[in-house]
Amino acid sequence: MDRILYWLNVLVRIDRRWIFLLIAAGTVVPIIFPIGFKVSITPAVQALYDKIETLAPDDVVLVSFDYGPSTAPECDPMADAVLRHCFAHGVKVVVLALFPIGGITMADQSLARVLPDYPNVKYGVDYVHLGYKSGGQATMKQMGEDIHNVFPVDRYGKPLGDLPLTQRVHAYRDMKLVVSLATGIIGEWWANLINAQFGIPVACGCTAVSAPKYYAFLQSGQMIGMLGGLKGASEYERLLTSGYPETTRIYGRAGLYTAIKGMDAQTIDHSIILLFIVLGNVAFLLGRRRGSAGPAS
Amino acid sequence: MRFLKLQLPLLLTALAGLIPIVAFFASPNAVQVQWTKDRLEKYMIIIASFALMLGVINVVQSNVKKIERRQKGWHYGAFLLAGLISMAVVGILGAINVGPFQGIGFRPDGSRTPFQWGAEFVFNPLQATMFSLLAFFMASAAFRAFRARNVEATILLIAAGVVMLGRIPLGESILGGRPYLSHFTDWLMNWPNAAAQRGIIIGAALGAASLSLRVIVGIERSFLGIEKTD
Repeated sequence: MDRILYWLNVLVRIDRRWIFLLIAAGTVVPIIFPIGFKVSITPAVQALYDKIETLAPDDVVLVSFDYGPSTAPECDPMADAVLRHCFAHGVKVVVLALFPIGGITMADQSLARVLPDYPNVKYGVDYVHLGYKSGGQATMKQMGEDIHNVFPVDRYGKPLGDLPLTQRVHAYRDMKLVVSLATGIIGEWWANLINAQFGIPVACGCTAVSAPKYYAFLQSGQMIGMLGGLKGASEYERLLTSGYPETTRIYGRAGLYTAIKGMDAQTIDHSIILLFIVLGNVAFLLGRRRGSAGPAS
Repeated sequence: MRFLKLQLPLLLTALAGLIPIVAFFASPNAVQVQWTKDRLEKYMIIIASFALMLGVINVVQSNVKKIERRQKGWHYGAFLLAGLISMAVVGILGAINVGPFQGIGFRPDGSRTPFQWGAEFVFNPLQATMFSLLAFFMASAAFRAFRARNVEATILLIAAGVVMLGRIPLGESILGGRPYLSHFTDWLMNWPNAAAQRGIIIGAALGAASLSLRVIVGIERSFLGIEKTD
C-alpha cells in the first residue's frame, strides 16, 4: 500500500508540463489519425434538425454569426452544418454577424467553405450576406421593424432592395427561424429579447462552456433547439450525413476540419483529464486515511 | 453649470429609459411614441459604434503610459499599439479606397484586401491560439484542484465527472454502447442545472431592472462620475 501511495504521490506532483504534453498529444494525434467515435443524438440537437426539415423551400432562416475566432473550433462546424442543411434542404438563408471581434470573418469563411459544394445556390436568390452591424440589442430590435433600415446595403455594398431574396424579407415576420451561433451573451438576447418580443423560433449553437445557461431557455421554450459545444456539432453532422447521404462525401473529405474529427480529440482529452482527476483523488483520499496531509494541491 | 453637468444628463437618461418602456406598452398606432422609440434605437446603434471608439482611445492611452514609464511588459504594449495602428490605417485606407487598399473584405475577384488578410491570417490565429491555451491550463488546474475535500466538493466532482464522461462517446462505450450516461448528463443539465440557471437569470434580471429604475429616477448617478450625495 505504501508503495502505491508513494507512486500516486509522485504522479500527483508531476510537472504540469507533462500534462500539457499529454493534452497536446491527445489533441493532435486523433486529428491526424481519426478514430471516428460514434455519438448518440440528444433531443436538443434533434429538435433543431427537425425544425429545419419542416421548412418549405421558400422559407427563410436567419443565421447569425455571434462568435469570433477564439471559439471557431467549436462553432465553425455548427455553422457549416446548419448552412449545409439549409442549402441541401433548399431553404433560403440570410447571414449576418453581430459579434464585433471577428464575427464577420467567421461568416465569410463559413460561406467560403460551404458554398463550393452547392454550385446551384445563387447569391441574392438563395442566400444573402448582410455583413456586420454594431449595436447588439438595438440592432436586433430594429431588425424586427425593418431590416432594410438597419442594413441598407449587404456585405458587398449592394442595396438590399436590389436582391430578390431581401426584396421579400423585411423583418422577422418574413422568416421562420433564427439560428444564433454564439459565444457570449448575444445568443441569450436572441431568446430573451427577439423570441419574447417577436415570437420567431430561435435556436442556438454555443460553446460547451456556455451551454449550461442556455438549458434554461431551452426548457422554457424560448429556444427550440441547441447545439451544445463540439458534441452538439458532431451530433448535427451525424444527422446531416444520415438525412442527406450526399453530404457524407463532404464530411469524409481529407483536410476538412469537422466536429466528428474534433470529438475524437475531445474524447481523448476528457479521458486524460478524468484519469488524472481520479488518480489525484485516490492519492488524496489514501493520504488522508493515513493521517497525512495528502498530496500537494 | 449644474444644469449642464447634472440636471440635463439626468433628464436625458430618464427620457431614454422611459420611452422604450412606454412604447412597449403603448399601442402600435401611437405613432409619435413608436417613432421616438424607433429613433432612440437607431441612436443606440450609432452610440454603440462610438463606444468602440472609446475603447480604442482607452487602450491607446493606457498603453502609451505603460511605454512611457517603461512598466513591466511595456514591449507588449508597443506591439499591441503597432498592431492597432497598422490595422486601423489599412482599414481606413481600404474603406475610402486609396491605392491598393481597395475595400476591407474580399475583392470582387475573390482575392483578399490587405485588411482582410490581416484579420484572417494574423488576428484570427492569434485569438484562436489564446483560447486554445485554456485547454492546457484547465487540464492542469482540474487535476490539481478537483479534490473531494468535503461533501459539496464531492458532489461537484461527481457531477463534473458524469458530465465530462457523458459528453464523450467513451462514456457510452464503457456501458456497452448504451447511452445511460448521456441521458443522465442530459437530465443533470435539463433539471438541476436549468433550475439553478433560471434562478440566476431571474435574479440578474431583477437586479438589472432595479438598477435601471434607479438610473431612470436619478438615484444612481455613478455613471455621470457623480456620487449620490453630490
